[in-house]
Amino acid sequence: MSGRFAASDQVAIVGYAQSPVLRHAGKPLGAIALDTARAAIADAGLDVAQIDGFTTGAIFPTAGAHTVEDGVSIVSANWMAEHLGVNPRWASGFQGFGQIPGSVQLAVNAVASGAADHVLLHRALHNPVGKYHGNPMREARGSMQWMAPQGYFGPLAMVALPYTEYLQRYGASRDEMAAVVVEARKNGARIPWSFWYDKPLTVDDYLAARVIADPICMYDCDIPVDGVATFVFTSAERARDLPNHPVLVSGFGMGTPTTRRIPQHWPLDDIMDTAFETTRRLWEHSGLRPDDVDLPQVYDGFSPFVWFWLEALGLCPVGEAHAFVTAGGIDSDAPDGVPALSGGGALGNGRMHGVPQMLEVYLQLSGRAGDRQREGAEVGVACHSSPHYGGAVAYRRA
Amino acid sequence: MSDAPTTRPVPVPDKHSQGYWDAAAEHVLAMARCSRCGTLAMPPDIVCSHCHSTEPDFTFVPVSGRGVVRSWTVMHQSFVPGFDDLVPFVLVDVELDEQADLRTIGRLVDGPETLDGPDAPLAIGARVVVTFEDLAPGISVPAFALESP
Repeated sequence: MSGRFAASDQVAIVGYAQSPVLRHAGKPLGAIALDTARAAIADAGLDVAQIDGFTTGAIFPTAGAHTVEDGVSIVSANWMAEHLGVNPRWASGFQGFGQIPGSVQLAVNAVASGAADHVLLHRALHNPVGKYHGNPMREARGSMQWMAPQGYFGPLAMVALPYTEYLQRYGASRDEMAAVVVEARKNGARIPWSFWYDKPLTVDDYLAARVIADPICMYDCDIPVDGVATFVFTSAERARDLPNHPVLVSGFGMGTPTTRRIPQHWPLDDIMDTAFETTRRLWEHSGLRPDDVDLPQVYDGFSPFVWFWLEALGLCPVGEAHAFVTAGGIDSDAPDGVPALSGGGALGNGRMHGVPQMLEVYLQLSGRAGDRQREGAEVGVACHSSPHYGGAVAYRRA
Repeated sequence: MSDAPTTRPVPVPDKHSQGYWDAAAEHVLAMARCSRCGTLAMPPDIVCSHCHSTEPDFTFVPVSGRGVVRSWTVMHQSFVPGFDDLVPFVLVDVELDEQADLRTIGRLVDGPETLDGPDAPLAIGARVVVTFEDLAPGISVPAFALESP
């Protein structure tokens, strides 16, 4: 069996739309999703009636006791189709972690196999009223019995544990993470739809922030938002007749660890062992090599993931990401900087769950990044979630 | 040993975890052991994640409760009830002596001051031993204490 993806470069992104990223939108999530879908379809030069496939990863990433309601706090692929008035030939949601790479993979496979000709992929994120992760539970059942009674609850503690391991193993300090967050916010401040538009962060702001789950402080976490992004996929052949310059999907790398753990226990070795297999698969699958990549976009829903992804992609040696970033290694304005957060990421846009990484790659490779357009961006890699549960997608300018 | 408030979430045992919580109520840390291959699982599972048997017939066996700290976090805010009087508190990721990479997470009953100073007692590799927090009659939750704080 070859690890090379048989449908490499055969399916293209041909249009997109991104809603404003707001703390609390004035419109219901489903309504924003429909507006965004119609805008993306029009952007692609298509009509709604031509969309015959729908996909998303619809997870509502809260640890709180919030209601999951389709069209209100999540938007499923079938909800989207129904409310656009389309009886789809194909609709499927991705169920696991890594909602973006998972659903991109579904979209590409659907187009490549002929299950659908034009696939709409969306990601809709909701910020409920009240505390995002707060949970009033008094009884801990099922998987919760291994966490909540001990006070081990929610994603901040989950990320704090491997983050501490990293700091201790490599002699890093949490002060060094300021360079990651400041870079993300610098770039996010230039993006008109970002929640953090025109609001950069200083190192002093970062160091003064409230520590929640030491070493994780407030600014290490992306801020919960209401927002939707939508992309349209079709075959590379059909894409030639459409108005935008196509961006082709070259391949994927995904994976999950197999070690039995307490839920949400993510030891550093679990993360990095799986990360290196994920990136190995990415190169094999896409036919690309690390030095082919002009535009890596690393996931940053929690800032330590930036260090983990930089090392997994081979952009710096293992254990040195903290020093690499502090020395300006990912400064997107420096001639020799790796523009790994040029799209602002989640820290610079809001909790859009991997959308900023995918969107930045699409905009730069299609030549649609406007004032932010970078020269010579031909190959991009968008990384999503923690490297051991998410994945990476490689794209190429057609 | 603890006067922890009972507004904390209490574990609700199920048929796969009953043996764990029954032992904890007696202040014994017990791990699920696969009857086929002898591997310990934490948390208990439906099938054996080591030999993949679908009939693992797990039994709960006492373990020493001793191990080493692999990581920690200091929680300055709790997202579930009952911890407000305890913050800031420490959570530790512990590798138990009985089996390589057999890890569990619990509160470290020693406070964050164990991280202070160049020779802080709480460090990677620090030895800990299990202790128990009594949340309600018949309900105790494993936690850890430094062997030499």
